[in-house]
Amino acid sequence: MDLENQKRVKDLVEKYGEENVIVLLGAAEAEASGLAAETVTNGDPTFAGPLAGVQLGLRVYHVVEEQFKGEVDGDIYEDQIGMMEMVLDVDEIVSEMTEIRNEFCKFND
Amino acid sequence: MSKKRVIHYINQFFAGIGGEEKADIKPEIREGFVGPGMAFNKAMDADAEIVATVICGDSYFSENLEEAKKTIINMVKEYKPDLFIAGPAFNAGRYGVACGAIAEAIKEELNIPAISGMYIENPGADMYKKSIYIVETGNSAATMRKAVPTMSKLAIKMLKSEEIGAPDEDKYIPRGIRKNYFAKDRGSKRAVDMLMKKLKGEPFVTEYPMPSFDRVEPSAAIKDLTKAKIAIVTSGGIVPKGNPERIESSSASKYGEYDISGFTNLTEESHETAHGGYDPVHANIDPDRVIPVDVLRDLEKEGVIGELHNYFYSTVGNGTSVNSSKEFATDIAKKLQNDGVDAVILTST
Repeated sequence: MDLENQKRVKDLVEKYGEENVIVLLGAAEAEASGLAAETVTNGDPTFAGPLAGVQLGLRVYHVVEEQFKGEVDGDIYEDQIGMMEMVLDVDEIVSEMTEIRNEFCKFND
Repeated sequence: MSKKRVIHYINQFFAGIGGEEKADIKPEIREGFVGPGMAFNKAMDADAEIVATVICGDSYFSENLEEAKKTIINMVKEYKPDLFIAGPAFNAGRYGVACGAIAEAIKEELNIPAISGMYIENPGADMYKKSIYIVETGNSAATMRKAVPTMSKLAIKMLKSEEIGAPDEDKYIPRGIRKNYFAKDRGSKRAVDMLMKKLKGEPFVTEYPMPSFDRVEPSAAIKDLTKAKIAIVTSGGIVPKGNPERIESSSASKYGEYDISGFTNLTEESHETAHGGYDPVHANIDPDRVIPVDVLRDLEKEGVIGELHNYFYSTVGNGTSVNSSKEFATDIAKKLQNDGVDAVILTST
């Protein structure tokens, strides 16, 4: 995750609290999704950005995951994300995201 | 025991200053750790800690090599460190080269151990693996979590003056050093054991690894040679007399494109070889021995091949890097394709 976005996440969490922030990802690959998810839970794995060593443990989901998909209007989802959902490796993304959440997310829900 | 003192070198990116647009920042030193130093401190725990961090832009370092090295050595000296850690640089080329160069300089000037970490294909790894210990890392910063413990372990070993193990034990890039040791079994037994394992399809580890080269799939065979346009490409260094392009006799940095439309035979008067590293007398007396223009003209006349391409391409293979060769080949192949060449005869010395 680039340094600017790390700072944004950090600032928002300071303002609203960890329990009131959810991070949604739209990365095209499982590896990139996992890295971004790790950054907002366990801290910046590259130790280069503002979240280095900062374990926010935030709730984080990819937009192709059921947890997000189930919460939004199906037609709009189809219109905005349906196309990408078809071409992405959804299973791999879900497994990567689940792994990171199980290991680092502070919220058990 | 008090903690040993470590100085850490990182670039502008890992210091959180910025990316390429900040790569020209001059060296500075800050007390304590910055960025990845946090992970090193955790991993080295009771044994050592980062007392200061040097930060330098990658472009600044590479463009002001001597000055940057001098400045940084003076900064580091003040802190009286016991060890120097540079990077890890993963697959970042300029950062890797900077890490290698500064670690080597610190090791020589201050006489303290210095280590770095890089991806095996980082150019810095090849340049500095002999002078310093470089831990092999993954190719992106995402593998920091794996790189730091391995580097820290090696660093602590060095600080305690423990003996450093073989490259696969301590996970550093082989430094080309051979060390004698007593094996349990004699060579003939080990070789037969290995062969038996191979025959049984079991895994075994060679004692003499071969360099790995990529394999190029041959193209499909030519259907009708009598209509084919054939070109010559050589690493044998044949050039027009006087070597107009000044192709180097070793480690060539270029290739030449030469017109042979008026030649049915290459001679001592018209051509020569630029190639060093072997006795060129016979190639110079008759350059057709390296690129057979005379025979190909005969075949052209006899109708065995369609035609010989008007140009041949030549470079010197002696000590020329695989990377340069690939670049030349990409260029040459494009030209040959544009000229409708069907097949190429490759010759060497």
